[in-house]
Amino acid sequence: MNKNQLDLLVALQDIDLMLKELDDVKQLGFEVRNEGAEALEKAREELTQKIGKPLLGKYERLRARYKRAIVPVKGDTCLGCFMRLPTYLITHKDKHNQIITCEGCGRILYWLE
Amino acid sequence: MNIADLLGFLSEERFIPELKAKTKDEALEELTDLLVEANLIRNKHLILEMLHRRESVGSTGIGHGIAIPHGRTTAAPELIIAFGRSSNGIAWEAIDGKPVHLIFLVIAPPHEEDNQYLPMLGKLVEFLHDENNRKKLLEIKTYQEFEELIKA
Ligand SMILES: [Zn+2]
Repeated sequence: MNKNQLDLLVALQDIDLMLKELDDVKQLGFEVRNEGAEALEKAREELTQKIGKPLLGKYERLRARYKRAIVPVKGDTCLGCFMRLPTYLITHKDKHNQIITCEGCGRILYWLE
Repeated sequence: MNIADLLGFLSEERFIPELKAKTKDEALEELTDLLVEANLIRNKHLILEMLHRRESVGSTGIGHGIAIPHGRTTAAPELIIAFGRSSNGIAWEAIDGKPVHLIFLVIAPPHEEDNQYLPMLGKLVEFLHDENNRKKLLEIKTYQEFEELIKA
């Protein structure tokens, strides 16, 4: 599958989410191999090489500022800052593939619908 | 949080008494497809990628024929659970090496206001530690029976 940059960023954020909670799930009794975190870091590294440098920089800056760089849109609302998004973004033809940021908070939008 | 809260995240359309899947990959896909059909997610590839990555860190087969594939993903709108059963059993590289018969898929968004994801995972593990519960889960035939068991 030929993946777009947005999907790659989502996969990257999903790895970051997983890394953060490895210890928590281990405590619940799940197997987390000792080299598990290392494997994730390696996957992360490989993924970042497929993402354009400026976009990756944007992701890291947003992550440093907000913890999560990509936020979902539910209905017409950015779930990062709860601002209602303008109609031209809601109806954007290619919104599932384009990097679109919220005008309120600047985070990258992932459209749930 | 109580195990009965699980019913708030599961429903009859996400309950498969007999999976068609013969392998781990097929089972993950069959369960994820339910979420697509229910219009809960639009991109199953992102979900599957996350689930496979989670398995690469360590098997979610926790032994005694149970697997709880899980993870947070930006593509999930809310905490969602699906259940599938395989009477033949599926190889899951589980910690005890035994095939898996009962599979609970648990996915969550990056951030939830009420933080139910990890407590729910914990309750599920606890519930499935009980041999009696596992036995009953293998015997039930309908979603109604499943609900009764969880509520009991
Ligand atoms: Zn926003």
